[in-house]
Amino acid sequence: MAALDQAETPDADTREIGDVLLRVDRISLYFGGVRALNNISFEVREHEILAIIGPNGAGKSSMLNVINGFYHPQEGTITYRGKTRSRMRPYQAAAQGIARTFQNIALFKGMSTLDNIMTGRLLKMHQPFWMQALYWGPAQREEIEHRKFCEEIIDFLEIQHIRKTPVGRLPYGLQKRVELGRALAAQPTLLLLDEPMAGMNVEEKEDMCRFILDINEEFGTTIALIEHDMGVVMDISDRVVVLDYGRKLADGPPDSVRSDPAVVSAYLGVGHD
Amino acid sequence: MFYREAGQFKVSYAADQAIFPIRQDQIGMAMILAVAYVVMPVAGSEYWLETIMIPFLVFSLAAIGLNILTGYAGQLSLGTGAFMACGAFAAYKLTTAFPDLNIIVALLLSGVAAAAVGIVFGLPSLRIKGFYLAVATLAAQFFLIWLFAKVPWFTNYSASGVISAPPRAVVGELYVTGVHATPQARYLFCLTLVAVLALLAKNMVRSSIGRQWMAIRDMDIAAEIIGIRPLRTKLSAFAISSFYCGVAGALWAFFYTGTVEPGAFDINRSFQILYMIIIGGLGSILGAFLGAGFIVLLPIVLSRLPLMLGLPISTATISHIEVMVFGTLIVFFLIVEPHGLARLWRIFKEKLRLWPFPY
Repeated sequence: MAALDQAETPDADTREIGDVLLRVDRISLYFGGVRALNNISFEVREHEILAIIGPNGAGKSSMLNVINGFYHPQEGTITYRGKTRSRMRPYQAAAQGIARTFQNIALFKGMSTLDNIMTGRLLKMHQPFWMQALYWGPAQREEIEHRKFCEEIIDFLEIQHIRKTPVGRLPYGLQKRVELGRALAAQPTLLLLDEPMAGMNVEEKEDMCRFILDINEEFGTTIALIEHDMGVVMDISDRVVVLDYGRKLADGPPDSVRSDPAVVSAYLGVGHD
Repeated sequence: MFYREAGQFKVSYAADQAIFPIRQDQIGMAMILAVAYVVMPVAGSEYWLETIMIPFLVFSLAAIGLNILTGYAGQLSLGTGAFMACGAFAAYKLTTAFPDLNIIVALLLSGVAAAAVGIVFGLPSLRIKGFYLAVATLAAQFFLIWLFAKVPWFTNYSASGVISAPPRAVVGELYVTGVHATPQARYLFCLTLVAVLALLAKNMVRSSIGRQWMAIRDMDIAAEIIGIRPLRTKLSAFAISSFYCGVAGALWAFFYTGTVEPGAFDINRSFQILYMIIIGGLGSILGAFLGAGFIVLLPIVLSRLPLMLGLPISTATISHIEVMVFGTLIVFFLIVEPHGLARLWRIFKEKLRLWPFPY
């Protein structure tokens, strides 16, 4: 499996920020009379960590939902890997290498940690169902091969001890980690993380930051994340996009965004005169 | 003390992914198979084999079918009876149209026919969920039974509408259906077919296709976002579930009652099988067997208990008490363990691992 080898031998220079991977161009999204996104444009470059921040209701999650095909914007175009995409379904985005996690955990509660991560790998599994029913020869080999890959993810995320535990029984922080594992199992090119650190304590946040940075550095995965913890955002991201009321306020490196007067006013509520 | 995996180390993923990874379970399963294959045909009376074991096996197969659809893929269905009828009538048409067709091939093809019908009636599942889907499958239940009763082509223009299954042999003179077939031959044929199909079902639910079904059941939005195509996955569940129900229907007609009639597959049959998987355990192949055993065996035990205890109760009273006790037990089990007998069995095993210590 060439795909497996690729992940096992990380390139040393994957951290070089490359070309534009995803370009969002003048996207507008309405829900009835509500403008969730208003003429938003930004770019995600290869191998970078892009943070999308903004107050509640700014349209951050809607933006992620647009990127992975869950919402269909009324105006604007999305260009992914040089191809402008037409209206598409989420599973097509997954096939193109876009994986994501959710703000409120969306794990498969009835399944074990291992099964959840194995499910994330299903696009790489090609045996027909009758071979799976016989569970013999190629089907069993495929199952074991992907089990090995998933065990590597389990090692990476340090969740060996909960491998066979049904995820419904796990504490919140671990569930978040399993969900990250499920997204990683697909070996995504672009990983969308919706508030990966929401509701975590300091230690869990530190772990999660470490995982995100490691994923970015070792696998060269491009990451777009939404986060409210400004300390985390300013520390780990290469670039920050700020949204407010569906409009883009700022876009740039963390330091310039931090001192942008529009951002400061949106966050701190400085009075306009 | 007896049931502990201590000292049984797994050195390969293949061993860790086995259906029965623990040696005690392997021994237990081997013993159950030995009883089923050797003790039952030798020691079991004709009555025991024909009216208890064969219907138990047929119901188990139908319950596996419904469990794939409802327990694993999360699509509620009330059309089980109709899909069984499809299998029964397809088997009848196939065996009468092609008398030389081997009975095994005929049974599998009738499963395929039921699967095709299942796909058609599964199409609404993309748009509607839960109880609403159950109502849509109810349409299949009433329409198909009506169709089989009204169109004389299905019964080969028989005047009475009730037709008997033709005698067929597996090889040579070894008859498994019709008047020549011995109960032992019929029982062993059913047992083998059900055991093989149950193994295949277990393999499917522990492979990629089973994980796709469970993903759709647990969180359909997340499933779609990791690349599962909802319609295709739901239809595959409908097809495979209907295949199992179809084969079960054909077994019912050919091996249990010996007659093919639409009335045997009415809405009550669908509910009966739904009860089996709810009591046995949704999302468990073992649960299908436990549920079928509970529903088939318990009424028989209840009706015989007063006689065995020597209580002077009239037969009419016994049958009333039987219904009341049966209903009470179902309610009791659902309150004590809503996840069914399979979950009770798992809890029992977890406790047994630690016994005699509480934790």
